Amino acid sequence: MAEHISCQEVIELVTDYLERALPSEEASLFEQHINFCDGCEWYLDQMRATVAAVGRIEEEEVPPETRDKLLTAFRHWKRT
Amino acid sequence: MTEIGVQNSAAGAEDVELVARLRAGDEKAFEALVTRHYATMLAVARTYVKTRAVAEEVVQEAWLGLLQSLDRFQGRSSLKTWILAILVNKAKTRAVGEARTVPFASLAREADEPAVEPERFRGPHDAFPGHWRSYPANWGASAEVAAEDHETLRVTMRAIAELPPAQQTVIRMRDVEGYSSDEVCAALDVSAANQRVLLHRARSRVRAALEAHLDG
Amino acid sequence: MIAYKFLRRDGTSVFTGFRWPLSADAPGAWVDAPIDPCRSGIHACRPTDLPYWVGHSLYEIELDGDIATEQTKVIAPRGRLLRRVGAWNDELRDAYTRMCADRAHELALGASPPLEQWDAVIEPSVPEGPALLGFVAARIAEERYGAAAYDAERARQSAWLVERLGL
Repeated sequence: MAEHISCQEVIELVTDYLERALPSEEASLFEQHINFCDGCEWYLDQMRATVAAVGRIEEEEVPPETRDKLLTAFRHWKRT
Repeated sequence: MTEIGVQNSAAGAEDVELVARLRAGDEKAFEALVTRHYATMLAVARTYVKTRAVAEEVVQEAWLGLLQSLDRFQGRSSLKTWILAILVNKAKTRAVGEARTVPFASLAREADEPAVEPERFRGPHDAFPGHWRSYPANWGASAEVAAEDHETLRVTMRAIAELPPAQQTVIRMRDVEGYSSDEVCAALDVSAANQRVLLHRARSRVRAALEAHLDG
Repeated sequence: MIAYKFLRRDGTSVFTGFRWPLSADAPGAWVDAPIDPCRSGIHACRPTDLPYWVGHSLYEIELDGDIATEQTKVIAPRGRLLRRVGAWNDELRDAYTRMCADRAHELALGASPPLEQWDAVIEPSVPEGPALLGFVAARIAEERYGAAAYDAERARQSAWLVERLGL
């Protein structure tokens, strides 16, 4: 087994790690590396913060024409 | 691959209330629902049909389909899962006879895209190859605060809007809407591994945009 | 502060490859950081940290200066190896590996339904050594009982090591 993986390799594994999709050997190496290397630990936290930020985005505008069509359809459906 | 509509989580109290309001003809509720899901539904539809205009039509048809079958909603799956199933059905119907120019699955196999520029790591002949030249910043607790900041949200939204379509669709479905990995794979007809690659690249790009904004 | 450090068979650091000054009967020479090019500091384990770092050889290390404590390690600006912990030999290392493997089987097969896929990973992991097995056991505990169970399993591993090593 490789004794360790480099930072450059670790950052490419972050998503698989968060998805719990790494095989145990790689996950174990990943975890040891994160425990040891502050840079990669902070990078992992940045990725978590990114996911959290994406989860908070505000609703985007629906094109007015689309919105009007849908509201009209809704009113029609209400009546039937 | 899991079929959409298989119970990932049943409808919660919020969903039940929302459906009741729709049945009662509450326009505000309907408008809010449409607004909340519009961007993601459009992105998903876009993966099936050729033009944005057609994708918009597919989304409209999906909402109509939802209203028409509202009586049949039993809360066995969440409203969000149900909407997705209707959307994908409509999109596939529309896509028949309209061959996709690039199959979605192949979009994940585009050229390698490193999550962080290679220059930020020590080279292969360095004593510590592949290690950071200098560490990324420790956002720590300040990241929580930053996420509430309006400017940060704006940066995040713009970063998402600038993503290539396949990446944008996956990150919207997973991280904005909270669909499960299985649901995304079923809706987009991609493998779990491909989905993860797209998610990884999308998140990496958004992180880089946030880093540029927060760290200057 | 007295802490612990695992090194490779040849006395080098697992992550940085740094060759630690060793002496047969006396403490090794003091080493000043920076060794790690990214960040200053000598990394070491408290007894509770041992399971995360399990390696070939274990040493007692004396740390000096302002010591930073982190979740799974401590960091100091200088340190010197005092002595090798002789109790951590091939036999004990194998016994620890087997203990973790048995725990992993117990956790995986005791679940309802059994965690077959996890169970299948255990024996093939044994030749890879104690660090991996400790990780696998803790992960199976987590799969079964949640995040807190991961930490609890690690604490169990640490207690086993502390007792057998007389730390």
